[in-house]
Amino acid sequence: MPRARAPAAAVAPFELLAPATPDEAIAALRTGPPGATAVLAGGTDLLLDIDAGRTDPTRVVSLRRLPWRTLAWSDGALTIGSTLPLRAVEDDPALRGRLPGLWEAVHAVGSVALRHRATLGGNLGRSAPASDLVPMLLALDAEVDLVGPGGARTVPLDRFVRASRATDLRAHELIRGVRLPESRPSAYRWQRVRPANDISQVAVAAAWSPQARRWAIAVGGVPPRPVRLPEVEAALGTGPPSAAALAAAADLLVRRLPIATDRRASEEYRRHLAGTLFERAVRAAEAAPGGPA
Amino acid sequence: MSRPPLRLTVNGAPHELPDVPGEERLLDTLRWRLGMKGTKEGCRTGDCGACTVLIDRTSVLACLTLAHEVEGGSVTTIESAGEPTLERARAAFQAAGALQCGYCTPGFVVALAGLLAERGASVTEEELLDGLQGNLCRCTGYAAIVRAVRGAREGAP
Repeated sequence: MPRARAPAAAVAPFELLAPATPDEAIAALRTGPPGATAVLAGGTDLLLDIDAGRTDPTRVVSLRRLPWRTLAWSDGALTIGSTLPLRAVEDDPALRGRLPGLWEAVHAVGSVALRHRATLGGNLGRSAPASDLVPMLLALDAEVDLVGPGGARTVPLDRFVRASRATDLRAHELIRGVRLPESRPSAYRWQRVRPANDISQVAVAAAWSPQARRWAIAVGGVPPRPVRLPEVEAALGTGPPSAAALAAAADLLVRRLPIATDRRASEEYRRHLAGTLFERAVRAAEAAPGGPA
Repeated sequence: MSRPPLRLTVNGAPHELPDVPGEERLLDTLRWRLGMKGTKEGCRTGDCGACTVLIDRTSVLACLTLAHEVEGGSVTTIESAGEPTLERARAAFQAAGALQCGYCTPGFVVALAGLLAERGASVTEEELLDGLQGNLCRCTGYAAIVRAVRGAREGAP
């Protein structure tokens, strides 16, 4: 027999549980060691955190057997289960036509092999400032469906996301899915060094709501968290913006963001990116089927 | 606490592996438990694609996959013989001479095989190249790799 394992690959042991039902999963979290119990969806963030020593769980609760690998359309509204791999979201035959920005945002996450494991629920639970999904979902007015010991509840994504690794998730609560109220002509534009390996320096999500006849704009990649920008949305008006209105809205957007220099980009470059990506995202959403005319 | 053995089919051969700890990565199960060193460890952070294997014919990064998470699954590695899309990808890499040091090659070949299996005969060159963005060649020998990808697509049945 070959050697058992490479010494360099050793990580601290943990107990891996794979409960078969949501109730069992919640019980596994409740009875786990406080502060040392972690939830595993696709694992593409959690296992990196474990390897880097950012977390050191002794119990890991896998969601792989839960019945949440789902995607359903109903009158233009979309519900996505939290444990559906992102590649399956991307491959839904209706997504690119009805929510083109969401298709672009999902497609922007990592590589194909990563998206075969990574999930929407995991991305929201991690709540990274440069998440590709959070800004687009903010611009689509997503609601997060949660289930815990006290039952189920629904929270607007804008309230759910607080900062990096900080969410509104309560003790022993799980993300069950996300609901998007309507199909929206939309677009997601980002800039990064290498597409599959880096996270965005700046990313802009733009969506047009046919029902409310208004724009929704969100920006990611600018810490501390992805944000909606209501003043910028109002500056775009209630239809296709003129060139002057778009430029004025871009100026406002750049002024409203807490743009700073970090190891990914300088402040000056980020300002340039934010304005440019914003204008491109708005024009692409406008040109999408059903866009404002 | 006794743990049930981990059941995995690897390149068509069934395995029942006793005492696989919960934290063990599929990459280590393949390389160190089964002695199959064709699947490479590059970055171990999900960035380089050298550890790409197929689970039930879809590509995953074996460094970021717990072995128990694919319990009961069918794993295809570069050592596989006879799996049609893998044979096609391998033949295309050989024909194009698409390797320099060769370390990234198993990941590229398996990832390409996964895309061919997933997308079928209608796959475009753009889809294939876009789908290989997560595989890095540090020799930067991409020109021959792109030729191999073209060859694999044209060899579609």
